[in-house]
Amino acid sequence: MSKKVKVFAAVFMSFLLFLTGCSNSNSSSTGTEKSTTASAPAKTDKSELVVGLDDDPPQLDPHFSTAAVDRQVFHSIYDKLVDVDEELNFVPMLAEKWDISEDGKTYTFTLQKDVKFHDGTPFNAEAVKFNFERMMDPNTGSPRASELSSIEKIEVVDDTTLKVVLSEPYSPFLAALSDRAGMMVSPTAVKEKGKDFANSPVGTGPFKFVSRVKQDKIVVEKNADYWGGAPKFEKIVYRPYADENVRLTNLTSGDVDIISKVPPKDVEKLKNDSNLTLSETGALGFQGLYLNHKSEPFNNKALRQALDLVIDREAIIKVALRDTAVASAGAIPPGTWAYDESIKPKKKDIEKAKKIMADAGYPDGFEFTLQLSPKPVEEQISQMIQSMAKEAGIKVNLEMVEFGTMLDNMDNFKFDAVRLGWSGRTDPDGNIYALFNTEGSINYGYSNPKMDELLEQARVETDQKERKKIYSEATKLGQEEVPFIFIYHEKDYKAYKNNLQGYKHIADQMMRFHDVSFK
Amino acid sequence: MVKFLLRRLGLMVVILFLVSIIVFSLVHLTPGDPARMILGQEATEEALQALREQMGLNDPLYVQYFNWVTNVLQGDLGNSLKDNTPVLTVLLQKLPVTIQLSIMSFIIAMLIAIPAGIISATRKGTFWDYFGTTFALSGVSVPPFFLGILLIFIFSISLGWLAPSGYVEPWTNFKQSMLLMIMPALAVGVRLSAEITRMLRSSMLEVLEADYIRTAYAKGVLERGVVIGHALKNALIPVVTVSGLQLATFLGGAVITETIFAIPGLGRLVIDAIMTRDFPVVQGAVLFMAIAVVVVNFFIDVLYSILDPRIKLTGGQ
Repeated sequence: MSKKVKVFAAVFMSFLLFLTGCSNSNSSSTGTEKSTTASAPAKTDKSELVVGLDDDPPQLDPHFSTAAVDRQVFHSIYDKLVDVDEELNFVPMLAEKWDISEDGKTYTFTLQKDVKFHDGTPFNAEAVKFNFERMMDPNTGSPRASELSSIEKIEVVDDTTLKVVLSEPYSPFLAALSDRAGMMVSPTAVKEKGKDFANSPVGTGPFKFVSRVKQDKIVVEKNADYWGGAPKFEKIVYRPYADENVRLTNLTSGDVDIISKVPPKDVEKLKNDSNLTLSETGALGFQGLYLNHKSEPFNNKALRQALDLVIDREAIIKVALRDTAVASAGAIPPGTWAYDESIKPKKKDIEKAKKIMADAGYPDGFEFTLQLSPKPVEEQISQMIQSMAKEAGIKVNLEMVEFGTMLDNMDNFKFDAVRLGWSGRTDPDGNIYALFNTEGSINYGYSNPKMDELLEQARVETDQKERKKIYSEATKLGQEEVPFIFIYHEKDYKAYKNNLQGYKHIADQMMRFHDVSFK
Repeated sequence: MVKFLLRRLGLMVVILFLVSIIVFSLVHLTPGDPARMILGQEATEEALQALREQMGLNDPLYVQYFNWVTNVLQGDLGNSLKDNTPVLTVLLQKLPVTIQLSIMSFIIAMLIAIPAGIISATRKGTFWDYFGTTFALSGVSVPPFFLGILLIFIFSISLGWLAPSGYVEPWTNFKQSMLLMIMPALAVGVRLSAEITRMLRSSMLEVLEADYIRTAYAKGVLERGVVIGHALKNALIPVVTVSGLQLATFLGGAVITETIFAIPGLGRLVIDAIMTRDFPVVQGAVLFMAIAVVVVNFFIDVLYSILDPRIKLTGGQ
């Protein structure tokens, strides 16, 4: 009888061995893992920075990236032609300086000398040309193509001088170059690796890519030859924590040094934590309700206006967002140069909303369906909107949909209203043109010739003061026309250990670690 | 025996074929355009169209299925839409992690369940029995994610003994790897141990009533000998089935635990891939899990018949 026990044990053990055997052979076949040294759970290494990200970056090739979280890592690996400072002014990076011709069409860039990509390829005007052409080539399929679509001609004058001629003036051009469109990848590496470049990215940045294990970590190491001076950390480990509580726990327990996003519910708690620093800045985007202008009820301006008036923005911010946002009057967020303080967010006014509806022939209100993502905060916001609208006789049905389905519904105009926002762009054009212009990429059927004219004008205008005036006018027109229901502008929070020094919080929400070190 | 094996193998092929159709259709019939997910909200129509063409999404569904299956049979699961990594490489990267979690959970479960089950059964109606059954009931009722959070709270935040989450390969630093894995393994293992404890207790009680046990006692065999030598072995048969099934579901079942403890295993891979509509990865991973479940079940059946000769492997006559 005991023989069978032995058989059982033998089979079971061999099964286990088989499984462990698998694991060992796999480890050696996936070479990238070998080179990574695991970060210690109780961190003592001062030359290594551990960064907690809010998600696993899908892409490490900036010319293909669409997720905001990718950009957090890009800022270590790649340099951009132009950067932004804390006031969101454009400052030199790989482009030492630039001249814009009188007519706003010709940009002459003077590039940094003696810069090399991590693989030794020299960075020069040819390399920039290669990068632009890569993004503009329709066969590349780069989401950047539209940002560079105004480029007519790229001319290499000499190694450090590049002339770019636009088909028409396009003021947001520098802003595009301060984001992914301005990130320079190594031409040699792209030619060698093709699509696989995303898995072994090569830039000119302060850190070099070492390895990546999906959903676990991305490791970069110091670029000792960095043209702007070697960074202070030997190594940075980016770790994705999709769960916000897990992210925070790792920060408070000391395993992570800085996190990219702080959930609203924890802001107050972090403010009172003496071991951590909480940094706050306005972000660049806006949040609210997308409306379908192609069908009822929101093809009717009066009903859009009525809905706009029933929302108590302050209440939503206070209750659902715990004061981590500010009420919104339009697509331009506070703290940016185009923001006009004199335009106030709408106040809740049920009587006026009722009157507008009665005048438009809807004395008993109307009904619509609001689609939202299944997240607690989203639910809370939507329920608040639902009960506010009810006061004016507007019936809101809530429908929870998964994100992919939501985008699909929006593409196909299968929605009345959608609770979603826009992460924002450095130049106001990226927020407002996209939303209000008939041809805008996030416009769902709204069209107004006057608005189109204003936005086109703002695009070609090169004087910032004049542009601001035009945007104010567009924002006011937007308040009247209500193409989108603006509710709030988020604030961005970063939390980090007190012993971290030199961190600058920039409103584009991206973390830059070149000048950061431990005390 | 050979006939049985052949029949089971044939059945496996049919099941896997059906699974492949289901997986493929589910992924392709869910609303949401993968091209849109990849290019984002502001992508132009031309860019979307170009990407759809590139991904073969414009082909009729059966053509897409045929292409996929042909490639899969040649060992090519396709490339991730996000960064072009071969799906097989991604899976092989994740597999050891999930296997490590599964094995550790399984060992923990057995270490708890076998003594607890035996004690509960042999000391029926005593304090220890109630203790064991209460443990089993709460273990089954408490979801692993809750237990996980509780463990993090106690051992990481309050006591500061263990890192709250993360993963290190055992071949890089064995000790650290084990320390990081102990809490997630407990979170998953306790549930399994509770199920096995209940299972073992009841089958043990049944076996202890059997004639041959009485005979053994009558022959003067000591209690320990009866329980371990005679009763346990027979009582383990249903336990093997249950734990075998559990072992298979571990491959995909630890999703939430993997998320809470930031472990880069198969479960999280699938969730991430679904969220971003990375079709090839979803298909590859689900197919892989299906194969794992089918294969494990096959082995369980074989093991079952070895443990209990009354179950004949004669192909169902």
